[in-house]
Amino acid sequence: MRLRLSDVGVRYGVRTAIRDINAGVDGGKVVAVLGPNASGKTTLLRTIAGLQQPSSGFVELDGARVDKLKPHDLASKIAWVPRVAEVAGSFSIRKVIELGRYALGPSRQRVEGALSKVDLLSRSESLWYEASAGMRQRASIARALAQRTPGGVLVLDEPTSALDLRHLRMVGEILCQCASEGDIVIAAMHDISFALEIADEVFVLKEGQLVLAGATKAVLTPSSLGDVFGVDLAWATDDAGNRHLVHP
Amino acid sequence: MRLKVILLFVFLSLLLVGAAVFRLFITRSIDGELSFVFPAHNILTYRLVPLVAALIVGSALGVSGMGLQVLLRNPLASPWILGLSSGAGLGVMATMFVEHTTGNSILGGQSLGAIVGAVFTLLLVFGLSRKRGGIDPMTMVLVGVVISVLCGAGIMIFQHLVPMGLRGSFTTWLMGSLPEVESWWRLGILGLIVFGGISLIAWWGPTLDAACLSDDEAKSVGVDLPRIRRGLFLASSLLAAIGVILAGPIAFVGLIAPHGARLMMRGSHRLLAIATALVGALLLLGADDIRQLVDLGTGRLPIGIVTSVIGGLVFLVLLLGGRGRV
Repeated sequence: MRLRLSDVGVRYGVRTAIRDINAGVDGGKVVAVLGPNASGKTTLLRTIAGLQQPSSGFVELDGARVDKLKPHDLASKIAWVPRVAEVAGSFSIRKVIELGRYALGPSRQRVEGALSKVDLLSRSESLWYEASAGMRQRASIARALAQRTPGGVLVLDEPTSALDLRHLRMVGEILCQCASEGDIVIAAMHDISFALEIADEVFVLKEGQLVLAGATKAVLTPSSLGDVFGVDLAWATDDAGNRHLVHP
Repeated sequence: MRLKVILLFVFLSLLLVGAAVFRLFITRSIDGELSFVFPAHNILTYRLVPLVAALIVGSALGVSGMGLQVLLRNPLASPWILGLSSGAGLGVMATMFVEHTTGNSILGGQSLGAIVGAVFTLLLVFGLSRKRGGIDPMTMVLVGVVISVLCGAGIMIFQHLVPMGLRGSFTTWLMGSLPEVESWWRLGILGLIVFGGISLIAWWGPTLDAACLSDDEAKSVGVDLPRIRRGLFLASSLLAAIGVILAGPIAFVGLIAPHGARLMMRGSHRLLAIATALVGALLLLGADDIRQLVDLGTGRLPIGIVTSVIGGLVFLVLLLGGRGRV
């Protein structure tokens, strides 16, 4: 499985959200998409997920353009997790996760497995509109897990923004496990430490352009991130000898 | 199907049968006295026709409202609030006006006028609510209210243009009423179309479930959103138009019936569509029963007034109770 972005650009009216993005990702990798607010992260992810038609260029998955995929093919190849999931009906959490199997056929085993992975098995009958933001975020990830085809693409927009530390770690493990099964996992995030911990590669966006791309530890340095985010950063080493980026 | 759902359907069906029996048997004498007797054969027909019309119109408006609420992801959506009823009403008024002034019948008559009016209004509301390729639900409700007001103005213009004698029949029609004289043939055809529309929407149930996700998520799980929206758009318009053809503009049934059904059951729109059809029919038949009981000294109330009063109050309770969800 190979994902390739060629000269991808997206405009909303006169405003350019992203432009001239060229990159490639192979299966089995976790890619973190970083960048300041309004740098084009969500637009890039939506374009990769086949949800946004590019104004220029194209995204290919094993040679097939994702914006040309039929709904069923899109569902079988790419699973999407939004930053904030919306459900309009009076559905239970279990029902929302079952919707992940809409095009691919029901699978009780996949739904149960996804619920279990995100620690929602005991709360599966809770109503969606009564669930907390963290529960909704985990349910949204579970829906994508129930949908995903191993060896496909998992695209997540800030999937841990509402999670506590335990569930943040749990989601990190889930994403790494998906990559180990051959998935391309692409996730936007603001937590640099989390990116350092789980990502094999990073894409760093600034003002709609891909300014840094490559292996995580090589790309994420205090000087490179300082240039992008406009803040002073430095390495700090903990007792176990692990290095962390800190704001001195 | 789970036992709870089966029991609910049986319960709603029994209520419907009870309301129908009440409608057939309740009799008000000239001096206003109520009695409960089996009617004579010639009177029975005058009660059976509005009864069947209530079943058709109530279920059609209810399921049309459910479809629109899913289509727009908006719990306030209904044929009435989105201007469909007013648009269909304007179509009927225009047809009546043209037929009156020219003295000729128009092919398709008021039925065609109602369908053209409903579809044209929904197209207008749909088109004006588009933002960046998508639909903004709140804009759509506001646009619907504005279009509804404009259609209301159009209806008043037609009322103003016709002679005084005809204005009375225009006004009576606008209050909404179930027909007591209607050909069984026409009722049968409209009933079949409504049955087909409801069956189609129920068949789309799993897709409607997935369409309750955000646009991005729905597309991601494999929903062909443009296709299902086109289908819902047409089916909901047709059902609303048939409601107007048979009973004039009836408010609130399309808004309340889906919410009432959701209060009683959760889950797939496939079953919810059936429950909504039953609740819609029950609401309208119940309203017709109530108007047999109320006598303000000026004859029975138009059914549109009864549905507006009951529907308005029920919806207020639902809103204040925080249950106004799609």
